[in-house]
Amino acid sequence: MAIQDIFQSIVAFNDAHIAEQVQAEIDAGTDIASILNEGLIQAMDAVGKQFGEGKLFVPEMLRAAQTMKVGLEVLRPHLAGAEREERGTVVIGTVKGDLHDIGKNLVAMLLEGAGFTIVDLGVDVEPEKFLEAAKAYDARLVAMSALLTTTMPQMERGVRLIREAGLHAKTVVGGAPVTEDFAIKISADGYGADAPSAVELARTLTSER
Amino acid sequence: MGVQCQVLSEAEREVIHAESIRILEEIGVKFLSETARKIVSDHGARVETGSKIAKIPRELVDQALATAPRSFVLGARDPARDFALPSAYSGYILDNGGVFVRDFRSGERRNCNLQDLVDFNRVFDAMSLASVAWPATIADLFPPHSASIHTDIHSLMSSSLHIQSEFWSPREVPFILEALTAILGDEKAVKERKIFSVVYCTLAPLVHEGGMCDAYLELIEFGAPILIFPMPCAGTTGPASLFSNIAMANAEALSSLVLFQLARPGTPLVFGDAGGAANFANGTFLEGAPEMVLQTAARAEMARFYGLPNSQAGCLTDAKDHGAQAVMEKLITTLPLVLNGTDLIQGPGALETSNMMTLEQIVVDEEIAQLCKRLREGVDFSAAKNLFDDIQKVQPGGHFLMADSTLANCRTAEFFRPALCDRNPYERWSELGRPDVYSKAKERVEEILAQPQKNPLPDDVIGKLEDIMQRADEALN
Repeated sequence: MAIQDIFQSIVAFNDAHIAEQVQAEIDAGTDIASILNEGLIQAMDAVGKQFGEGKLFVPEMLRAAQTMKVGLEVLRPHLAGAEREERGTVVIGTVKGDLHDIGKNLVAMLLEGAGFTIVDLGVDVEPEKFLEAAKAYDARLVAMSALLTTTMPQMERGVRLIREAGLHAKTVVGGAPVTEDFAIKISADGYGADAPSAVELARTLTSER
Repeated sequence: MGVQCQVLSEAEREVIHAESIRILEEIGVKFLSETARKIVSDHGARVETGSKIAKIPRELVDQALATAPRSFVLGARDPARDFALPSAYSGYILDNGGVFVRDFRSGERRNCNLQDLVDFNRVFDAMSLASVAWPATIADLFPPHSASIHTDIHSLMSSSLHIQSEFWSPREVPFILEALTAILGDEKAVKERKIFSVVYCTLAPLVHEGGMCDAYLELIEFGAPILIFPMPCAGTTGPASLFSNIAMANAEALSSLVLFQLARPGTPLVFGDAGGAANFANGTFLEGAPEMVLQTAARAEMARFYGLPNSQAGCLTDAKDHGAQAVMEKLITTLPLVLNGTDLIQGPGALETSNMMTLEQIVVDEEIAQLCKRLREGVDFSAAKNLFDDIQKVQPGGHFLMADSTLANCRTAEFFRPALCDRNPYERWSELGRPDVYSKAKERVEEILAQPQKNPLPDDVIGKLEDIMQRADEALN
């Protein structure tokens, strides 16, 4: 019943009581894996499904993810490594010459909500920085964003550097002027037409390994 | 008096102004350009070194408003197409429609190429309410850092209209000045004629870009007008209420006004807005929404409140193709601006949230513009239009078909004649192949493109311009 409350807090994107709810379950001796899977993860999966169908709005999705994060922080000290489902690290940034970051920020927040660990390199990011970070954090995905057509060639350089370095990280690109054809042309592993599809793409690409 | 509309009451304009000043004084704006920070700091703004945020006191806003010109002319390469600001009617700016074009033959979306840019300019030139052209974006033909120089020069070659564009670095400025000098003869004419201006988009919320800012601080020395064009999106890059998003956009615009007036008092500025609203389902920017035009119409009224010429985003749509959604959204995002007397409306030709251009849409948008203009003109109550004598002559039960006034008036602008909308009886319309506005627009585009280009530049000038583009490729990339 109380795990259901945790689930409800997340799907109702209400972060007011989640910490107490999770703590109460831990104190009551409930199985930690059940709190994690039936409370937190199943709730985020439900929320993610609604968001993907366009039923949930971005601010609601982000608040649900934040609620989940608050609950997870309470649970974290009790988690043995094997119990946690790690989706992996995503290195993300807006490419060199471009200062537009709303799309990148949105994708980063949604990916975090979907269980990825985010390394946000910010804006105006050199291709070499993407490579360095991908190596340093053993990234599973490198996500590059651009709004300006003049900065799109920087994506091609970034993808090339990562490929040449032989990293296992997959590369994904997005932004208003970017198309699937462009992604194919520069040999990126994927293209997200908008933020929700970027999350789906990340899930798909990281489950391929 | 004509038909008018007003989004903001006098009291609401005062509130927007007061909130804008509060934002500038208490929150401030970030200037990424060191030159810009020095300019505002030297004039009394408090600049925090670490954050690069400048708190701008109201006195600087008042000072800037006092030196900003109330009127000027956006010159065109063909002087007959000069556009005087403020304007008695709404003129239109060809949208910079992202990087895509709906192919005229196949209808498929593809990247824009140089021939598209030329065709857009030629078709737009033939529209009677066309006033300014913003070159299309060509993604992969030119080297990235000289791409603007190419598209601007090709627009100057293929359009008779005033050209507006964007620069990202001061290094681009000498090349455009050289091109303008090659076209107009000398630097004095460049300063006087003002056939080229630039768009200054602040980076919402409340940030001024570095390279663009530095480029424009150089360009204004040559008299180039600047269109100040904040575009905060209510709910993502802007606060999630139209009231505060309008106030924040207004604050961004006022901070731009302050910067450029302090840098060079008397710089001609167009007070514009291209704010939008979030699509909360996926976080993207919406242009075809009522809340978009409520904001840009409000900002047009703020421009008039300050006595400044203005240009607003409008005639826009989020539709992905020709059709009912495009026409519906474009109509509702044009009419309020025309009815409140906005000087310039930027949007014709664009679909897909300004990501895609189409030739037929330019012609359809001219029809929308003409319909709105007719509504704005309203009912003529002059003595000449009082036809009491005719009513008396006809007497009850007769008709007015043979009245002199009917013959005299039947072709006047009082009775609107559409270029595209069909008014035939059903059978005639069916015989004609059931035309719709887009099929007629397509025919019009074909007619225009079959004609020779208007106002071609002399060969020697084109030679100079081609040389400039080549040198820009070498120097900027």
